[in-house]
Amino acid sequence: MIDNAYILDNGAYSAKVGLSCHEEPKIIPNCIMKAKSERQRPFIGNQIEDCRDASGLFYILPFTKGYLVNWDVQKTVWDYILSNDCCPSNFSESPVIITEPYFNFNPIKEAMSEIFFEEYECQSFLRVNAGDLSVYHYNHDNPGTLCVLLVETGYSFTHIVPYIQGKKIRNKIRRIDVGGKILTNHIKEIISYRQLHVMDETYVMNQVKEDCCFVSEDFSRDVEIARKKYPENTIVRDYALPDYTTIRRGYIRPLDSKEECNQQTIRLNIERFSVPEVLFHPSDLGINQMGIPEAIVRVIKSCPEETQPHLFNNILITGGCAAFPGFKTRVYNDVRSMAPYNCKVRVTVPDNPVTYAWHGGVLFSKDPKFYNYAVTKEEYEKEGHAVIFERFDEANLNFA
Amino acid sequence: MAAKASAVERQSGRIKDSNQKRILDEASRNRRARKALEALEQDNFHDDPHADLVMSKKIPKFQETIESRGSRKKKPKSAEYYKQRFRKSLAQMVEEDKNYMTGGTSYITAAVEASRYPDRHFCAVCGFPSNYTCVPCGARYCSVRCLGTHQDTRCLKWTA
Ligand SMILES: [Zn+2]
Ligand SMILES: [Zn+2]
Repeated sequence: MIDNAYILDNGAYSAKVGLSCHEEPKIIPNCIMKAKSERQRPFIGNQIEDCRDASGLFYILPFTKGYLVNWDVQKTVWDYILSNDCCPSNFSESPVIITEPYFNFNPIKEAMSEIFFEEYECQSFLRVNAGDLSVYHYNHDNPGTLCVLLVETGYSFTHIVPYIQGKKIRNKIRRIDVGGKILTNHIKEIISYRQLHVMDETYVMNQVKEDCCFVSEDFSRDVEIARKKYPENTIVRDYALPDYTTIRRGYIRPLDSKEECNQQTIRLNIERFSVPEVLFHPSDLGINQMGIPEAIVRVIKSCPEETQPHLFNNILITGGCAAFPGFKTRVYNDVRSMAPYNCKVRVTVPDNPVTYAWHGGVLFSKDPKFYNYAVTKEEYEKEGHAVIFERFDEANLNFA
Repeated sequence: MAAKASAVERQSGRIKDSNQKRILDEASRNRRARKALEALEQDNFHDDPHADLVMSKKIPKFQETIESRGSRKKKPKSAEYYKQRFRKSLAQMVEEDKNYMTGGTSYITAAVEASRYPDRHFCAVCGFPSNYTCVPCGARYCSVRCLGTHQDTRCLKWTA
């Protein structure tokens, strides 16, 4: 058994990285940022924590619409991640597990293999969907599970993926083009129009989203509450924005707070839940697609009939957007109302939906199966990309 | 007095006329909607504050890690090398994928269908549910007050 596998869950927003002997992964913003206030240097990944003034950050991202296309940016971030400043490893000893999105494109797959084998000289390598590792994690925690319906709701998009006996059913996967990025841009847009110009404040507004937004468990009820005046309105909040001299991170401020506040504040009312609502009704923003609960039911009903009760009973939700309070209950309520009445519906959101796949990678690296799945440097040198495609893409690996 | 009133009448008649002429056609409305969706995908809304900054200078190199262990034989390739080496755009890859993936689900066909349920409508100004549609531009509004704000700030003033 190996305890030094290098696991890199390479998300479009953040990379989750660490050795399998680590308790928790490091969470590294997968981007380069430039600050108005500092001409000296760009900030790579979590170096942004050293930045005194994070207002007006300029983002340079390796991913476009969920796929890795800016290789100079990714290489720069990976070089940093693998350096002594972040999470170094000796690849002559550590096998590597790296994640990719569903329906990743062949040129991207080849580039990943080339960089890891030729540039970083790793000895053995496994490329999987982050969702595969989440499902492995879930199966590990729930022995005897036959099917899992995975909802992965990340930065760029949301995927609904059925797994039957550990294997994903590729032809049934569906994607909703809504993720955390759109939600952050949307909250920026509406606050800028209604209150204060924050279009250049992605970093701060992303924190506002994380600190204030929730998924409504009953949308029309919450709309009526939001129409009321404080204190009957139990939803409305003020948010003090960071000024980077006295406070570095914004915070929620009660409306009746007597404490003096020199910070600029914004008021969040219906925005607190109308923003995540886009995941449930993309058409609210003019995106002509169904929302998560409807898509779950649609995907399950497209699967073989005998698997459907198992899928309804094992709905697993991961990814950054799953961290909104209320997510699990809302998905349960909506799916329950659309599912056959005699089907048991069970929804799981892990305590940490962001690192769940990474921990699945840790567990999987200790499974003897891992050795059969990973491709070694020798194999790659002898057979090139063909052996990799055969193993990772055509074989449809089993994550039960 | 009477003359004044009729002038006002004439004027408001003209305003009405010009408003009626200025109704966004279907194509412009679609273009606006598309622009709004594209904006939601943008990484930044402002320009790079230090576009001239040479980025490679202070970036720690992977080689430092390896070299410190004294086992590195070959020179690492630069970020710029990989930019040149792998330069396919997403649009290109999607196009190639279409030809490669005959049968079976691909990136394009994995996009989920439209909802079976009717669209909901929200006021473009305040965000609450709305019952009315602005005639010139098709935006939604909920009250006379929000309509006023909409006309003063967006509506036909947007150049999309
Ligand atoms: Zn309104
Ligand atoms: Zn209008």
